[in-house]
Amino acid sequence: MSAQADTAAARRSGRRRGARIGSGLASYAGFVPAIVLLGLCFLVPLGIIVCYSFWETIDYEVVHHWTFSNYTYFFSVSAYVSTMWATLWVAVVATALAIGLAFPFAYWLSRYVPQRLRVPLLVLVIVPFWTSYLLRVYSWLTILGDQGVLNRFLQWAGITNHPLGVFLYDRPAVILVLVYLYFPFGALTLYSSIDRFDWNQLRAAMDLGASPAQAIFRILVPQIKPGIITAIIFVFIPILGEYLTPQIVGGTGGVMIGNLIVNFFQEAEYTRGAAVSLLIAGFIVVLLLIFRKSLSAKEAYGA
Amino acid sequence: MAHDVEVLSGRARFVRALLSGYAVLIYVFLFAPIFLLVLFSFNANRYGTFPITGWTFKWYRAALSDYQVHDAVSTTIKVALQVTLISMVVGTAAAFPLVRSRLPGREGIRIILILPIMIPGLLIGVSLLVLFTSTFHWTLSPETAVIGQAVYTTPFVILLVAARLQGFDAALERAAADLGANSFQRLRRVVLPLIFPAILAGGLFAFTLSLDEFIITFFLIGGHNTLPIYIYTQIKFGITPEVNAVATMLLAGSLLLLALAFVLPQLFRKARRAGARLRAAS
Repeated sequence: MSAQADTAAARRSGRRRGARIGSGLASYAGFVPAIVLLGLCFLVPLGIIVCYSFWETIDYEVVHHWTFSNYTYFFSVSAYVSTMWATLWVAVVATALAIGLAFPFAYWLSRYVPQRLRVPLLVLVIVPFWTSYLLRVYSWLTILGDQGVLNRFLQWAGITNHPLGVFLYDRPAVILVLVYLYFPFGALTLYSSIDRFDWNQLRAAMDLGASPAQAIFRILVPQIKPGIITAIIFVFIPILGEYLTPQIVGGTGGVMIGNLIVNFFQEAEYTRGAAVSLLIAGFIVVLLLIFRKSLSAKEAYGA
Repeated sequence: MAHDVEVLSGRARFVRALLSGYAVLIYVFLFAPIFLLVLFSFNANRYGTFPITGWTFKWYRAALSDYQVHDAVSTTIKVALQVTLISMVVGTAAAFPLVRSRLPGREGIRIILILPIMIPGLLIGVSLLVLFTSTFHWTLSPETAVIGQAVYTTPFVILLVAARLQGFDAALERAAADLGANSFQRLRRVVLPLIFPAILAGGLFAFTLSLDEFIITFFLIGGHNTLPIYIYTQIKFGITPEVNAVATMLLAGSLLLLALAFVLPQLFRKARRAGARLRAAS
């Protein structure tokens, strides 16, 4: 009798012990390596960038001298300011195009494609996203360049007899490649929210007299709004920090703020570069804070 | 739900056909540039473009006998292996408290752990450049690039392992505790085997990301080259078929690793189940 009570008690305490697995101070130990890596090599450097942006470079030496001069300098050079606006403009246009193109695609995939084909077709879209970023940018040179497919075709068709430089080295080329780079991301995010939508609602709306467009914009879109916002933010943010795309296909006409940052750092103007970096970082943090309620990193990265 | 027998009106059928055509165009848009890059790597035309003047492997031979490519390949692999090891260990360790502890401010920690994915790599690159060269006065090397890349890849491992831990049946661990397993034994014999597929997938993922990473490496590797950096320095002088060949090999490598990241964990799970059945039978 008492032996039975003992085992029962032991089982209970075991269960309680089990329930406590994962609590207690020791279980936080797992954070330690991550705190060392991400704290020391991510947060601390960002903090240093903040300090640098308020210090000065004098004769290639960083002087610990608190000042706003890096910022006032940036805003006093009109080429920099216009590059900043151009970057925002390119980011807005490219994001709008990427999401705008991805929406009908995600709609098609989740509404008209048989269940068993959906995942393979989705994976097919995402595969380019996980291949080399550099190569995806580079591959457009083979199409848009002087010796590229487009120019070859035009010469072959007799439309022109010399390579046209118009396809490359300007904003439209940058926007085209950015849309290409981030379309898969938009498609994935939109698909994962559209796929949870109950299509009967759309049919019901149309039975009640809504036009297809009304049904889509008043029934479907409001329900997948968090997915749309996540897609927009996660496409917009990396574009703000783009360096490679404008560098490879943008030429002098397509310069973005990322190129300015790289130039400052390559010329050892660390404090000025830091100020521009902080402008971007600050802008991103504000965006993330405003939209943090609707963002789902889980959805965006499928993990 | 949407595909129960639905009588489509003529107009709905038209919309479906239209959207299907659109989807085909999207796939062409996504794959044409990559396809052309691969195509031109086999084209005898030395300008790396149309017309196709014959099929050849000579650009591959040229690329493979180039010592700069050799150097870049070995640096890339060395860096990727170190990055993979660091992010697997750090990421797995962090996934546990992230999922299981009821730490106040866990959401905040979660955001900080995921932030390196969300912030542009350019900012990670320049801020580490300042830390390493200006604060620590280190010389840039492949090792500094390893640290930078690990900052970016570790969050992916955290996400993958945390997702697996979340789906993990806590009753299994409690059962092991009831049967007298101490916490180390539970970790070693119950938890780790069950989440191993996710750790493996995370590792392969980190390896692929490291292989292809450009901007952080660009700032932190100093005088050395990884394959993406090598390709970048080459394309400044225009497209050449050798670069197309190197690019194609890099592409094939990352696709292979990605496929492994999806397939291996499943194979592993199947093998474990088969093993368990064998043991149960004997």
